[in-house]
Amino acid sequence: MEFVTTQIAGFWVALAALATDPVTYVYLIASVFLGICFGALPGLTATLAVTILTGFFSNKFPLEQSLIALIGAYVGAIYGGSYPSILLNIPGTAASAATAMDGYPLTRSGRGGEALGITTTASFIGTLFGTVCLLIFVWVLLLMSQNIASPEKALLALFGILLSGTLMSQDLVIKGWIAGLIGLAMAMVGLDPILSEDRYTFGWSYLLSGFQIVPVLMGAFAIPQIMDGLRAATMTARMPQVGRIVPKFGEVLRRLPGITRSGAIGTGVGALPGVGEDVAGWVSYGVGKASSKEGSKFGRGSVDGLISAEAANNAAVGGALIPLLVLGIPGSPPAAALLGALKINNVIPGPTIDPALILRVVAILVMASLTMFIMGLFTARIFIMILRIPQTVFLPVVMVLTTIGSFSVGGGVNDLFLMICVGLFAYAMNVMKYPIAPLVIGAILGGLFDETFRRSLLISDGDPSVFFSRPGAAILLTLNVLLIMSQLPFVRRRFARLKRNKETTA
Amino acid sequence: MTDRAVMRRRDFWTSIFLIVVSAFFLYQTSLIPFFKADAAGVQGAWFNSAALVPFGIFSALFLLALVLLAVAVKDGGMAGALSARAMGFTKAEAERLFCVTLILCAYIFALVPRTDFIACSALLITALIWGFHSGNRFAMRLSTLAVVLPSAYALIVRFPRDQWTKPHDDDIVVIVAFLILTGLMFVLSRRLGVMDRVVRITPVIAVLTPLLLVIAMAFGFRQNVPNRQGLIFSKIEYHYYVTLRPFWSGG
Repeated sequence: MEFVTTQIAGFWVALAALATDPVTYVYLIASVFLGICFGALPGLTATLAVTILTGFFSNKFPLEQSLIALIGAYVGAIYGGSYPSILLNIPGTAASAATAMDGYPLTRSGRGGEALGITTTASFIGTLFGTVCLLIFVWVLLLMSQNIASPEKALLALFGILLSGTLMSQDLVIKGWIAGLIGLAMAMVGLDPILSEDRYTFGWSYLLSGFQIVPVLMGAFAIPQIMDGLRAATMTARMPQVGRIVPKFGEVLRRLPGITRSGAIGTGVGALPGVGEDVAGWVSYGVGKASSKEGSKFGRGSVDGLISAEAANNAAVGGALIPLLVLGIPGSPPAAALLGALKINNVIPGPTIDPALILRVVAILVMASLTMFIMGLFTARIFIMILRIPQTVFLPVVMVLTTIGSFSVGGGVNDLFLMICVGLFAYAMNVMKYPIAPLVIGAILGGLFDETFRRSLLISDGDPSVFFSRPGAAILLTLNVLLIMSQLPFVRRRFARLKRNKETTA
Repeated sequence: MTDRAVMRRRDFWTSIFLIVVSAFFLYQTSLIPFFKADAAGVQGAWFNSAALVPFGIFSALFLLALVLLAVAVKDGGMAGALSARAMGFTKAEAERLFCVTLILCAYIFALVPRTDFIACSALLITALIWGFHSGNRFAMRLSTLAVVLPSAYALIVRFPRDQWTKPHDDDIVVIVAFLILTGLMFVLSRRLGVMDRVVRITPVIAVLTPLLLVIAMAFGFRQNVPNRQGLIFSKIEYHYYVTLRPFWSGG
């Protein structure tokens, strides 16, 4: 009980400090607005919003201000993706793909305003739910993480990359794993972390410090979006009538159990390393369809279906920050960009993280979700107008933003060369249906994996049993093995046969 | 042809590429000391070698590429791999993509390091908006040419790094290219009867976006910006420090 009261007191102090500083509001309003615009414009993503701002803020601003801007944009962009999903049947972000399933049918039946209003409310409650979970579980996990040593860290990093590769693959799972391995390989470039051995620099001194995070993020997420958007046909949007947006209080109260359920699912999925909001929305939609009273109406304009997707993808924001703050392993691609920002500011997430920083992050999340809620309800018509801007107009502007953002981090022109090379490679991967998220997570966690894997062997004098003699390591090793085994063709065939037999017996 | 068939044909080529790349990097890794990895005063052993993890990564990549090749061959990916449509792009799509790639590469590799950022970004924005908004092939080709020609000039005439920022002839070439492209955009759009709002607003976006961005980054956020000695930015910077700052400080 004392622990809970201490946490609540610490949170209120952080929130009060934030709320009484006028600069907070400038950053919050600007970043949430920018985030919603990025989410609302098809072709721009939450990850791109956070990545571009990481480039702009880098280490030249106080960390707290950078965090307000980045988290504000993150929360805003995940919510903003719902606008084109609901009004145009075009998901603004991958996270809001499930939203379109019921959002667009509601718009076609003249209930677009109602759909936007309930989405805004569900997103707000979902984000708050994720934030509360972050406040509680981050400390529990931090206590547990005191026992996490090099073997566990290495296996956890590997698990994050494998899980992201498995769940983010649109085609063959093997492609997700290959993307993760390419990311890991990218992290091997430069001086190695233990012996300072020169690896794969080919005589180019710029590569001695390895691939810089911001150009890799910009290249991997921005360039493919720009190329794909310009290759595709121009979007011509005809806006439907939306009507009243602010939802009725009674309606919100009636939907509260569904929103809470979706919030819990979103937080849980978001907390899985490297998975994120896209998967959270779909998992919650699936669970909602099975458990909701109006499950049969899902896909034909069900408000329950809409809130299942939206509350979950916003709750995943808080969930994704749990492994990021506790272990330094991002829970989602935008969280990977946040990790980049923390690293630029010399903040190393993990057991040694400053507890005050966690409370500040929680307070920023609460303020950002409140800003998003107010903006979503009362300025929604501005964002609807923004939807009319064609991709071919804003994508060139994004290219210039990306260039200057990547340049200003510190590496200069070499960072731009790296950005475009990674971008062209990531585009080719997109075309071949390789997911980009495992590549980026591999590139970010590769250094940690290399160092902790070798340190584990160094401590055990080369004895590999260190990876299964410790309880935590044994659990993580089992999870890794099970994850790989579950994707093997003969195992999948066996499971499918067992499932068929069960259905026949029933 | 189904999406799946196209994908397997692509996988066939990708897997071969990955096999070659991973084999190359396995060879490169073999050059890193493995059994006698003494370095930086630390006594090395195989488990401490800088090559240990890369060996694992590239071996796994090699194996997964073999599995991908097997999947592609099993699903018929090899049968049509050498046909013209093996990559699954139409000719128009491939041309559009080629032009976008060419413009982006010319901008990053040739223009940004050597020419004024405001001028080259204005050229890029105009080329991308006009070249790709209407879907007109002629506009796309002309826009690509308008970026590639000044890039080629900057790349050939000012190739060495010590000449990237000094002379401004390449800046002038870029500004002229921007003005010609903008003029052509208006003339051709009027002639073709497609003079819409996007065409009218393009020069405004093209000039204001990089101008405001660079001013905000350099003087507001105090961040590094590309090519500070560029023709336009050097004038802005001069007047900021020599004309405006003393005026503000009452000097």
